[in-house]
Amino acid sequence: MRAAAVAASLAPASPPQARSGARLLVEALEAEGVTHIFGYPGGAIMPVYDALTGSGLKHILVRHEQAAALAADAYGRVTGRPGVCLATSGPGATNLVTGIANAFMDSVPMVAITGQVPTTLMGTDAFQEVDIFGLTLPIVKHSFLVRDTADIPRIVAEAFAIAGSGRPGPVLIDLPKDMGVASAVPPLLKRAPLAETPLDREALARADALIAAAKAPLLYVGYGVALARAEPALRRFVERSHIPVVATLKGLGAVPTDDPMFLGMLGMHGARAANVAVDDCDLLICLGARFDDRATGRLDSFAPNAQVIHLDRDASEIAKLKAVVVGAAGDLGAMLDALAPRAPAREWIGRCQAQVKLWAARYDAPGQGIYAPALLKQLSEDAGDGAIFTCDVGQHQMWVAQHCRFVRPQAHLTSGGLGTMGYGVPAGIGALLAEPGATVITVSGDGSFMMNVQELATLRRYRLPLKIVLLDNSQLGMVRQWQELFFEENFSEIDLSDNPDFAGVAHAFGIEAFTIDQRSQVEAGIARLLGTAGPILMHVRIDPRENVWPLVPPNSSNVQMMEKGW
Amino acid sequence: MNPRLRIEFDEAEGALLRMLGLVERRGYQLGEVLRRGGIVEIELAPRDPSRRVEVIARQLENLVDVRSITILPQPREVAR
Repeated sequence: MRAAAVAASLAPASPPQARSGARLLVEALEAEGVTHIFGYPGGAIMPVYDALTGSGLKHILVRHEQAAALAADAYGRVTGRPGVCLATSGPGATNLVTGIANAFMDSVPMVAITGQVPTTLMGTDAFQEVDIFGLTLPIVKHSFLVRDTADIPRIVAEAFAIAGSGRPGPVLIDLPKDMGVASAVPPLLKRAPLAETPLDREALARADALIAAAKAPLLYVGYGVALARAEPALRRFVERSHIPVVATLKGLGAVPTDDPMFLGMLGMHGARAANVAVDDCDLLICLGARFDDRATGRLDSFAPNAQVIHLDRDASEIAKLKAVVVGAAGDLGAMLDALAPRAPAREWIGRCQAQVKLWAARYDAPGQGIYAPALLKQLSEDAGDGAIFTCDVGQHQMWVAQHCRFVRPQAHLTSGGLGTMGYGVPAGIGALLAEPGATVITVSGDGSFMMNVQELATLRRYRLPLKIVLLDNSQLGMVRQWQELFFEENFSEIDLSDNPDFAGVAHAFGIEAFTIDQRSQVEAGIARLLGTAGPILMHVRIDPRENVWPLVPPNSSNVQMMEKGW
Repeated sequence: MNPRLRIEFDEAEGALLRMLGLVERRGYQLGEVLRRGGIVEIELAPRDPSRRVEVIARQLENLVDVRSITILPQPREVAR
């Protein structure tokens, strides 16, 4: 449905003044409060780059368009406002696609702007022509192809309203070159206020009754809480309901991960205490999560004894995969604040907390090599609660989720839905610009790091003080782990032992770097990493045989977890 | 009998493609598709019996160009 905020009624402009489409675009972005754009120029988008000169917009020149989209994604996650990326037609546009899909899968507000060949050439297989509008249809919340220069301000306003409202997502604006060159007098925009979805009081009353009657209630928290900026309402509800909490990968931090009521991340690499609680609960209250397969394991054995309440911004997520007794769509914060308190279920809480203690992670790994979970735990403690972690994808991503402390979801930027290797460094760039002054740490693996290694040049250019921890096991570790466990140790194409000298690579980009490979070097390494003013890379050699534990095997119930041997 | 949806939508660029693509991507085979102006009726054949038409209807409802959706009880044709 069309967002209420996009209804733009038109009134005569006074005085009328014609400007180029590119200028109108830049002015419209400024009107939306945009301060940063991540992009890369090229033929069809050149009018926009011409108009950027002298504007109030700070353009961040990345070295590959994918990084522009991923940085804009991270910027959107941290600020809650759409991040903006810009690319030319053809390969510039297609290089954005992974980043747009990343934002779509994780419901991140983003506006992606692409140049297009002139309208007179569209459909003729012109140089650098690609149907980016058609290519991205399944991975955008909405898209526009500019057919009239005068429409540009309205389209930009609609794009931002759509991207940021309801369940957020990416919106594409494809701008043919001639639309950017032509001049027009745009009509004035008049914005309509957002229409709030009224609370479903009847559903919430039924939820209250179920919550009051439950002997073993459990909150299952996803990223929807962060998207709604509903963390304060969630914490208030936990305080007055005394209901234990488990979180998805992207829900981490909605409740501080060391809160006594927090049991851990659920799912494939989740905490056993969290998965056991889901298995044992008699009422599962899903808040802004979507019963993703990585979280649920075998769906038919997920929360087998529980009635389900599902509260979400997006009505289409309710009962999509799991039948519910009560479902309500709307603003999560308002719904949480409307729920009644209840007395603590002391026996249940005690049982849950005993499981947390029983299955607490151990950090006393044998040997003198660097144990990545222990390093990450110390790094998290030393960096403090203000730090933002961005991750790539693989074993290190799971270790960050398991062993770092998060007190807000905006401090944990991870590619959850799409699982995009190469996310970490561009996300670090986006986070640093979204929250200047924050300590931003990218944890990467040797596979992921090479997928956007060129962005070290961007760090250098803008002197962005990103702290990169590169966990190097000379393998595609997560793939190797699965081949070891589920493919009879048939190790196929996971060897990366011919990796470059990563510290040397960083030095070549003008970035400080060093390598550690002994446990005794960890403390000093972290101190150097955190104490350095500019960008820095700590290359950490770890045991290639190390696996992520615990692990729920494929097609298994979440309580059938494999555990570490020592 | 396969379910049918009646969708009223804004005739914006790409609107029909977006709707039909969503239906196919979400696990349905397209049956009969009848369009007249800003109304389209679609017959859906689920590739997996667990897919529920109420869910795909709500997913379509999320599209910016979609104004309203009706799940039709019986096959019918758009008036010609």
